[in-house]
Amino acid sequence: MFAENWKISLRQVRRILVLDLFGLSSLMVPGILSSMSGADGVFCLALGMAGGIALLWLMQKNLQGMEGDYYHYMETHVGQWLADIFMVFYYLYFVLLCGFVLYQAAVLALVWLLPEGSYFWVSALLLLLAAYGTVRGIEGRARVYEIIFWFLGIPLLAMLALALRDVHTDYWAPVMYSGGRGFLQGGVAYLLFLLPLTAILFLKPFCRKPEKLAACGGAALLGVTLLNGAVYLILLGVFGSNTMGVLKRPAITLMSMVNIPGGFFTRQDVVMTSVWFFALFALMHTGTFHSTLILKSLFHETGNRYSMCISLALAFVAGIGFFRNTFLTEVYGIYQKWVALPGMALILLILLFARRRKGRAGRERGEKGA
Amino acid sequence: MAVQVSTDLEENIRQFETLFSDCADIKKRRIKVGQKLGKECYIAYIEVAISNTDWKNSAVGKLLKTLRSLPEDGLVHYVEQNVEDISDSQPFRTIEDAAQGMLTGDALFFLEGYASALKIPDKGYPGRGVYETESEKVIRGSNEGFSESVKLNTALIRKRLRSPHVKVRESFAGKRTHTNVDLVYMKDLIYPGMLEEVEKRLGEFEIDGALDSGIIEQLTEKRKYSPFPQFQTTQRPDRAAMAILEGRIVLLSDNSPVALILPATYNTFIQTSDDYYSRWEIASFTRALRYLASFLAMVFPGLYLAMTNFHTQILPTDLLLSLAAARQGVPFPAVVEIILMELAFELLREAGVRLPGANGNTIGIVGGLIIGQAAVDANIVSPIVVIVVALTALCSFAVPNEEFATAFRILKFLFIFLCGYLGFFGFLVGILGVLIHLSQLESFGIPYLAPFVGADLNGYRDERDTFFRLPLDFLKKRPIYTREGARTRLKVKGQKKGGGNSKG
Repeated sequence: MFAENWKISLRQVRRILVLDLFGLSSLMVPGILSSMSGADGVFCLALGMAGGIALLWLMQKNLQGMEGDYYHYMETHVGQWLADIFMVFYYLYFVLLCGFVLYQAAVLALVWLLPEGSYFWVSALLLLLAAYGTVRGIEGRARVYEIIFWFLGIPLLAMLALALRDVHTDYWAPVMYSGGRGFLQGGVAYLLFLLPLTAILFLKPFCRKPEKLAACGGAALLGVTLLNGAVYLILLGVFGSNTMGVLKRPAITLMSMVNIPGGFFTRQDVVMTSVWFFALFALMHTGTFHSTLILKSLFHETGNRYSMCISLALAFVAGIGFFRNTFLTEVYGIYQKWVALPGMALILLILLFARRRKGRAGRERGEKGA
Repeated sequence: MAVQVSTDLEENIRQFETLFSDCADIKKRRIKVGQKLGKECYIAYIEVAISNTDWKNSAVGKLLKTLRSLPEDGLVHYVEQNVEDISDSQPFRTIEDAAQGMLTGDALFFLEGYASALKIPDKGYPGRGVYETESEKVIRGSNEGFSESVKLNTALIRKRLRSPHVKVRESFAGKRTHTNVDLVYMKDLIYPGMLEEVEKRLGEFEIDGALDSGIIEQLTEKRKYSPFPQFQTTQRPDRAAMAILEGRIVLLSDNSPVALILPATYNTFIQTSDDYYSRWEIASFTRALRYLASFLAMVFPGLYLAMTNFHTQILPTDLLLSLAAARQGVPFPAVVEIILMELAFELLREAGVRLPGANGNTIGIVGGLIIGQAAVDANIVSPIVVIVVALTALCSFAVPNEEFATAFRILKFLFIFLCGYLGFFGFLVGILGVLIHLSQLESFGIPYLAPFVGADLNGYRDERDTFFRLPLDFLKKRPIYTREGARTRLKVKGQKKGGGNSKG
């Protein structure tokens, strides 16, 4: 009844992207970067962001020529078979992402909130919630994260501000000390956490102002990198690079150390875990939503129940796999670095060239005809 | 098949009395009219709906007096020509329609040679009149409340909105009750398509009896399994008038003092009438308090369980020790303790509602003070649990809408279960579940969480009247429910810039 109510606004897209990018990266990147490049981690974040901008530029170029959804765009420019292969590639990425984030969220819950809980039931409960959030489409999903954005953002910023008291700025040195290889590896490591940006390509049919999608992604990328930079500097200033390198989730450890003035609540780690819990859930939800959407397109399903059930089952199996065998998490890292990242860039380049070639051929035909 | 009213009075009487045989409450009289009393008419009415004591001064009495002063052959012509002089009278062509007209509380008049039945109004069914509303009390503002008469309720709204743009669309619900249902709205403010959608939903069911607006509410709601109401209810005419001024529709049902307002959002359930009558600082403070109360009414006992059973590190040691000391000697686990007290409270509440006024208050005091104290003394529950349950109850009472507060009271048990067995993780799962549910909920196309979500649809202006109510100068625009182009509600004279002077 209310016009365009089934579409999501740019504010909603931006907030989803911020939560998607911030959750996992702020949880894992500080530890990874400090062990790779110490105080130079901040520059790695800048390098990773530059890579993200390059990827976003490719996405924007493709979005400009996109009419309808991404699948249709691929079919038009590279044909049915290649489009299907590309879709399977994206499906694999989103399902594995969902499984990996499910694993991270469940472990987070088991370590900080429910030490005696069962991984099986915790992850099953989370997937059930993700299914409930997915079943009614994108508006409901967008609204959830639009609401919780500031509920998470304000306590996080407040806690980071309170943590400033314990920062030793001498821990921020020495800079420009790590080698070029460590710097490059750190940049790529951060870039891998920015890959969920690729969801932008699938959001065009749902967005109220699709022409601004890439700009929206850029704003989210910049905002998240600045926030990650602040988190990294605070963590570095509190723990130093050596300690931070061995901590698994230094951001949450920091929350257990920050004291709120007045001294009533002694520890905030349990409460602040909710920030990462919700952010990880948002990313898992993104994985579920897009994998369902892709499968639905591939099999031309009218509803989304079968696609969703298959995707959730695969994500659950992947999550169990990561939990039972930590070697698989390393394999996942290799997959992200050597398959997902280059693959995404390559697909975008292929599509761009295919579109340009088609456009040039069309123009030539027009000139000949004239 | 409908039976036509004929010029033969005897045939009409036969048909009518067949229809109303064995109805002792319906009075039927044959009366002679005309100068020579040479013609007969027939009057039927429901016993208490027509004035018996002041018969001569009633519309029926005056009509009969006039008919007795006219010659017999001019009676039919007189009635035909002067029907409209009697206020709200209405001729019917069929016996069934005429009977239905009489059942609205008016008298029915048949005349020999007149091929219609005339409905003549009188005082109608007995009603309560305008009384002070018992719920939705305000510190500042009108105390008038809706009554059981739909006509009276419509008039109470009309009294506040004296504009020709206020329209009342009448329909009937209930195959056997023929309950009068009025849709009241402001024609130039209502969102296009909204009225049609409401009427469509009202036409989607056929029930034998709609004895209260609650039945209509349940049958027209889209998400029937949600604990959250998708219609706002009110017993206050000023609240209904305010909603109409926002472009919303008010549904009034006969025999029900509760009006339904649609669309409804979380925010509208938290608002009260005096939010707009009081100064903005007070209104904002109480509004924020109500938001907090709605949240705590749902999660407070659960959070207590999560903190004391799972995450004791959050609390200072002194508090933790005093909590542990208070629980000493209590044989039940904390979850059972909380559930017992919550159930006891719900029982007290239910008993208090069903008992007559003074007894209801007594039950509250007896329950709260004596049973609570006795339970603590007997070591059945700890004092802290009594405090937790009492505070939760206070929070649920601070939510201005009863149906809305009930949703939180029900969900409270879900949170007790989740937090009691899963700690803070259960709390997060519960919050996420409720949030997802609320995000998917809509009331006539409006997101339930608007304007916290989708605020861009109205230029982010609706956010000025949410957790805090900004000064009235800032609320120049009507909310999203209003038709585009008609959203200006306040113009500050002499102000050059700002929303107030711009077109809707």
